[in-house]
Amino acid sequence: MTKPHAQNAISAITLAAALGAALSMTSAPVAAAEGANEHCYGVALKGKNDCKAGPGTTCAGTSKVDYQGNAWKSVPKGSCEKTASPTSPTGFGQLQEFKEKA
Amino acid sequence: MTLQAEFSAALLDAERLVPSGLIAWNGSNPDKRFAVYRNNVVTSLIDALADTFPVTLELVGDEFFRAMARVFVAQTLPRSPILAEYGDALPVFVENFPPAASVPYLADVARLEMLYLTAYHAADARPLDNAAFQSALADSAALPNARMRLHPSVGLLKSPYAVFSLWAAHQGAFGIGTVDPYRAEDVLVVRPRSDVEVMPLRSGAFYFLEQLADGASFGDSVMAVGEVQPDFDLVATLSDLIGVGAVIAINF
Repeated sequence: MTKPHAQNAISAITLAAALGAALSMTSAPVAAAEGANEHCYGVALKGKNDCKAGPGTTCAGTSKVDYQGNAWKSVPKGSCEKTASPTSPTGFGQLQEFKEKA
Repeated sequence: MTLQAEFSAALLDAERLVPSGLIAWNGSNPDKRFAVYRNNVVTSLIDALADTFPVTLELVGDEFFRAMARVFVAQTLPRSPILAEYGDALPVFVENFPPAASVPYLADVARLEMLYLTAYHAADARPLDNAAFQSALADSAALPNARMRLHPSVGLLKSPYAVFSLWAAHQGAFGIGTVDPYRAEDVLVVRPRSDVEVMPLRSGAFYFLEQLADGASFGDSVMAVGEVQPDFDLVATLSDLIGVGAVIAINF
């Protein structure tokens, strides 16, 4: 382990004070369930789905048919399961992907 | 030239003859069928660019944008089947497109829009929460050597033009008439959750973020900025970054 030299030792106090002050001014975005939106499967029209980021997943504008069960759209929280989806077994959008009914 | 090369060259250049030997399945005129296909290819790529660069389009108008896009398309075939990536070369093209020279900030607005799309498709990551910041603070002696990890969707743009204000005015934030396009602005683009955030950066913050992104320690980054930008406001910048969710880890 290296010994911090004087300049770094001063910085530690400065940095901690700055970070502390910044934290008292702002709060970090709350984790997980707080977003104003939810991912809603089965409500997007053909080609109008939003992105599902990450390797090997489908992405924005790639859905092939209207109301595709494994394509999602970002919608205001709470509205998904109230949005009609003709392909959905429940008749409404779902928070998980589903297999469209025939 | 192989038939395939001839075919693709003729697709993008209406002056070229249709490759010889083509026949249509229903016996109709191959020249006409090929012209329809050529038009579909070019128009779909122009449409993709119009979707990716809506503010760039608004700044110069639909007619100009489409004419410019047509020239771009003719010299730039997609290198990947992912249309969202098509257009990453447009900003450089715009910069060197003489008819657009009277709108010098156009290329940087296009850069911002490309960063927006890139952030949108970037990997998900959870921004660091308050508790994690507080526990980092508890280990304050180690802070100078700690490394802040930025969100994988973070994109940075430094511009001699008011690129953020121009973009924001087109989102309806304020009237375009109030924007002085020749004021320099730096911008941060990040997608902490489902939506992309675009944020103007304070003096020195761009350089600070560049240092962090390069893997420099917290202490070294602050010192480096202080040398080039004495008016750098560390507290306000940290507050901005924490609030927008641009930091995902502090590694000791």
